[in-house]
Amino acid sequence: MENRIFRFLSIVVCAVIFFSPTSGCVSKSSQKDSKPALVIWHWMSDREDTLQQIAQQYETETGVKVEFQLFAPSEAYGNKVRASAQTDTLPDIYGILAETRDYASFIKAGFVEDLTPYMEANNALWKKQFFKKALSMDTFVKDNQFDVLPGIYGVPIDVTNIQFLYNKDLFAKAGLDTNKPPRTFEQFKAVAKKLKENNIQGLVSGWGEIWMINCLADNFAWNIMGQDKILATIKGEVPYTDPDWIKVFSLFDEMGKSGLLASGMITMVNKHAEQTFANQRAALAFNGSWCVNVYKGMNPDLNYGVFLPPKISDKYPVVVWGGAGSSFKVNAKSKHKEAAIKFLKWITEKKQQIFLSKETHNLPSNRNALSNLSPHLKQFASAMKNTVHPSQLPNSEYPRVIETMGKGIQLIIIGQQTPEELAQKMQKIKEQEMKRSEKYNKK
Amino acid sequence: MRISSIYKIKNGLGKFVAYTILIFVALACIFPLFWMFGSALKTQSTVFSDFSLFPKHMHWENFTIAWTKAHFGMYFFNSVLYTVITVGGLVFFSTMAAFAFSRLDFPFKNALFLMFVCMMMIPLPGQFVALYVLLTKLHLVNTRIGYILPQIDAGQALAIFILKTFFDNIPRDLEDSARIDGCNKWGIYWHLAFPLAKPAIAVVIIFNCLAVWNEYLLAMLVFSDKSLMPLPRGLMVFQGTHMTEYALLMAGVSITVIPIILVYLVMQKYIISGITAGALKG
Repeated sequence: MENRIFRFLSIVVCAVIFFSPTSGCVSKSSQKDSKPALVIWHWMSDREDTLQQIAQQYETETGVKVEFQLFAPSEAYGNKVRASAQTDTLPDIYGILAETRDYASFIKAGFVEDLTPYMEANNALWKKQFFKKALSMDTFVKDNQFDVLPGIYGVPIDVTNIQFLYNKDLFAKAGLDTNKPPRTFEQFKAVAKKLKENNIQGLVSGWGEIWMINCLADNFAWNIMGQDKILATIKGEVPYTDPDWIKVFSLFDEMGKSGLLASGMITMVNKHAEQTFANQRAALAFNGSWCVNVYKGMNPDLNYGVFLPPKISDKYPVVVWGGAGSSFKVNAKSKHKEAAIKFLKWITEKKQQIFLSKETHNLPSNRNALSNLSPHLKQFASAMKNTVHPSQLPNSEYPRVIETMGKGIQLIIIGQQTPEELAQKMQKIKEQEMKRSEKYNKK
Repeated sequence: MRISSIYKIKNGLGKFVAYTILIFVALACIFPLFWMFGSALKTQSTVFSDFSLFPKHMHWENFTIAWTKAHFGMYFFNSVLYTVITVGGLVFFSTMAAFAFSRLDFPFKNALFLMFVCMMMIPLPGQFVALYVLLTKLHLVNTRIGYILPQIDAGQALAIFILKTFFDNIPRDLEDSARIDGCNKWGIYWHLAFPLAKPAIAVVIIFNCLAVWNEYLLAMLVFSDKSLMPLPRGLMVFQGTHMTEYALLMAGVSITVIPIILVYLVMQKYIISGITAGALKG
């Protein structure tokens, strides 16, 4: 017995000693021998195969080797990028999955190349090929609150937007016109009534993840009060107790009371909402363009259509929340900076964008690459001109205020808070945050 | 006679209640495993529409697809390697450290032990950035040893705590008799303490096998090279940002749990005695 234990431990110790230099040397030498010209870190596990094919295609065409390295899920990827930034070991190309504030700190630390000169070169040839809003999330405008030099700091490889979807079969079952989804909020409520009469669940969405509630609230706010008033609210010039904001929150109250929302809606995560809609257990969904691929996998026969959020006011256009889907940044400290930019130019060309879109069922960021899209994706693509995103504004709201809004709307839906109470609460938090910010700036 | 019947009825009723509860608990524990295995035999669309535990049409090919699509062969080898070396190294170092804390006298012994116990309160993800900086400076990023050493380190605190408590309960007389037989400190550790600590070592092995086998976040941090990554990296192939291939994922998970179940089966006779004798005494 003793001998066996001794033998086992000896093997373990030998293995540790053996593997320590060996593994170190192997990976280092192999890195020397076959070090790729470009290293790209990404988190998109569902696109891994397609990106590998893209890399191979690029090598065949240009002779430049590209290595896509996957780090998923996104939380693990975020850890890796942050840790690498602290040790100055970021790859040539990477993505930043963080709030604008963090993105700005990466730029200020010199880890992100300003791509504006490349975008603007040759009469802005590269820039012009993108959807107008696709670059908004990677663009820092003049006098932005993060003190980042104005410029374009990322390249979107796809775009996304969030809209409503309806199940045509369930609409038919409820006696609703399958070709006429609701256009106004009144029509929306009428649909809810019809669905309820026929015992069909109404709307499902990932409203347990607060950002999706905020997304619809933003849509309503833009339609009711327009960009200038939203910006004025963020700057603290208009209070959240303004009647227009109360109107925004009241819409959720009405949705809750009309029976439009599926049961368990405020705790529902988007994956569950997607399953429910794909299994035809709900007639309406509020989801992003990525859902086309998700529904295709879950239920290829699902018969559904896409429509814009219902119109509340005629004063301002109906908008949808959207912009860049996934975007890549070039490491400003990379030795292969120029090659990295060349590759990003290539991947956003029409041919590659059509290939990516076809393989991954995502909306291309190149607006000239829409020819082979599926009917559902075409509907999403047609709304790209109506997209808005809070990050396109020069100022952004305090995270605490945003969180209060999402949680408050959840409470409104279940009848534990009134729209007026939420407005007052948000205003109070807003004032607290502004005071704190002022103190911090004085220091 | 009457008292005996009442006793028998009471005893029988007690057993009935106890067994019923235990059966329910056992079913609750086993159900997810059955569900996982059942889902592994469905298709991507029937996972969401067929709610039976085992489908009518079983798709056994999911297991081969999962194995090949996720390159499980390579990841399996890596995970076995990391688990064996990490757990082996952990047992080797933690038994010696625990023996030292329990039986030897040296300055700041208690303070050092307290520091080790405090280490248990800091989860590995909380040390990621500092660890990455250290590994980068030591040129251990993207190396196997750079992944193994932090895991041995992370497991030390709990292992030393369990083993020290166990060694504390070994009678001094045994140690004295070993000394009379000519054993020095190493001999006492090697010939007496180590073999006696088998139940506690088994607990350490089981806890850490599970932790190392399922470890993924550290691997993501340390490795860039796919060929060095452990098994959970293979499972990520089926989990997209928005889309998850549930049937293949469940097939993959079913494959990955087999070795851990085997470790439990082999070690189970030590678990109860190990936990009660070592971990909970003090």
